[in-house]
Amino acid sequence: MSVGVLDSRNLNGGQKLAVKYFIVAMVLFVAQILFGLLAAVQFLAPGFLFETLDFSVNRMLHINAMIVWMLYGFIGAVYWFLEEESGVEIVGLKCGEIAFWVLTAAVGIVVLVYLFLQTGAGNDATRWLINEGREYIEAPRWADIGIVAVMLVFFYNAAGTFSKGRWSGVSGVLTLDLVALVGLYLTGMFYTTNVTVDHYWWWWVVHLWVEATWEVLVGCIMAWSLMKLLGARRRIVQTWLYIEVALMFGSGILGLGHHYFWIGTPEYWFPIGGFFSALEPIPLVAMVVHSIYDAGVHKFRSTNHPALGWVIAHTFGNFFGAGVWGFMHTLPQINLYTHGTQWTASHGHLSFFGAYATINIAFFYLAVQQWRGNVWMGANLADNGWKWKWSMALLNLGVIGMTVALLIAGYEQSFIERAIEGSTWSGYFAAQTHPWFTQAMFWRLIFGIVTAVGLVLLIWDLATIGARETRPALVIERPEEPGIKAAVVETA
Amino acid sequence: MPLPMIEPVELEDFFLNLLSAAMIVLAGAGYAGLYAWGKLTRRPGFVISAYASYACLAGAVWVLAETSHFEDFWRVVAGLMLIGYFAAPLAIWRLCTATHAAEHSEHDRPNITP
Repeated sequence: MSVGVLDSRNLNGGQKLAVKYFIVAMVLFVAQILFGLLAAVQFLAPGFLFETLDFSVNRMLHINAMIVWMLYGFIGAVYWFLEEESGVEIVGLKCGEIAFWVLTAAVGIVVLVYLFLQTGAGNDATRWLINEGREYIEAPRWADIGIVAVMLVFFYNAAGTFSKGRWSGVSGVLTLDLVALVGLYLTGMFYTTNVTVDHYWWWWVVHLWVEATWEVLVGCIMAWSLMKLLGARRRIVQTWLYIEVALMFGSGILGLGHHYFWIGTPEYWFPIGGFFSALEPIPLVAMVVHSIYDAGVHKFRSTNHPALGWVIAHTFGNFFGAGVWGFMHTLPQINLYTHGTQWTASHGHLSFFGAYATINIAFFYLAVQQWRGNVWMGANLADNGWKWKWSMALLNLGVIGMTVALLIAGYEQSFIERAIEGSTWSGYFAAQTHPWFTQAMFWRLIFGIVTAVGLVLLIWDLATIGARETRPALVIERPEEPGIKAAVVETA
Repeated sequence: MPLPMIEPVELEDFFLNLLSAAMIVLAGAGYAGLYAWGKLTRRPGFVISAYASYACLAGAVWVLAETSHFEDFWRVVAGLMLIGYFAAPLAIWRLCTATHAAEHSEHDRPNITP
């Protein structure tokens, strides 16, 4: 094993495939930020790139690039640990390779269609070939079917590999979650002419993907990375994974009700949505207690400081973005004013970054470490690790800044557009052109640029970290699972 | 039982309502965190602070209930929320000690080798 050099011989089959997913994920991350910046400029100068690259297209690409890069990150993370977790080579690795290229080609084609065709006649041909018109999941129908096919291959590879090798609590939860991930996406493919019915099913994908299946997927990835990063005991992370899944499903599934307040569904969704939304922060509070217990009792050490840093950022980001920012506007009494305003965007920015982007970035650092021959990535890094520290600081500062700016904009919208003007079109435009709104959007752009600088630094760091390092990381072998190199720890 | 209706928040209570909702989650986490740290370090000051944080949480729930015009069902929701937030950290602490108990035996310690 060559330490400090990027060498694919340091990786197993699944890890080689995972690296491909991670690279595309980073490309899409760049696209997400780029189109987000263009959309942010268009809030301030609506004529910018008008009829060339409209706001609606930039926003759509910004959101969809985010969803897809996170999915790439999750798939990559699972492929990364599949062989190590199961103890055998991946079943159907060739299918996985083909699925990767098919998915990547499809994503490329969809982006080109969005950029150059953009709109169609609004008939079935448009729906199948250009855009389904469903916010957040705008992919044309052929791409929808492709996504399900790729996810089925992914499921087959995961379930088949675990079946051939060994099962564990993590792999069991993961496999069941992948069934839900594929199944739920199908619910978004119903097409009806009734907008209420259409939205009813559409929320099953948007809410339950994010607040149920993705959270569980992240729980599995987190459980595995804690064993790898810190040497946490399997029985502990598995127990907490089960608890988290129970709490998440207990509160998250009926928490779906907070999306049914104003779309024409019956009024009983008010109490259901309100009650279960109130329970949704409890899993996050549970994590606070558990992390304090672990930190206090074990005084964990880790050689992969950047990955650990991003795992900690994940804990805070998830708690504030999903918990605090989410609960602030999910009761119907207040949601009447805030629903669909920049409040939602504020909550979305912090929660998606906190809950999902951070854990993917942590995994990128784990991958780079192994790719460079399990290189030293603990304390005393070359240049004192300034690049990862600054990129982490700038990315977090940028996202928090955008979150606060959008919060202020949403607050103004709630007052002027909703409370004073009564949700009329004139109210909408009065709010959009109000100085409070535009000033907040100016700050959102500034913090968007800060985020972009952080991203550039992150890419630079991922490409160079550990490059001239000669120290290898140390390895723990645990008596509970002899033969499994469970974690690297810092000794110097 | 008739379906509970909702009365939107008054405009002048808008900020108070959002702030109280945020405070519920923050004070809830503060209560849980301080309680866990107090039990871990066996310092009663933190446990007392935890209960003070819970008092803030209860106050925030009261403000939220008032500004949101909670009636009937909604008051039950608020009550359950208070009970749940009180009991959850205690139950989670017990789970923590139970899940980590086996770890303290010597034979289960990790073997660190170069």
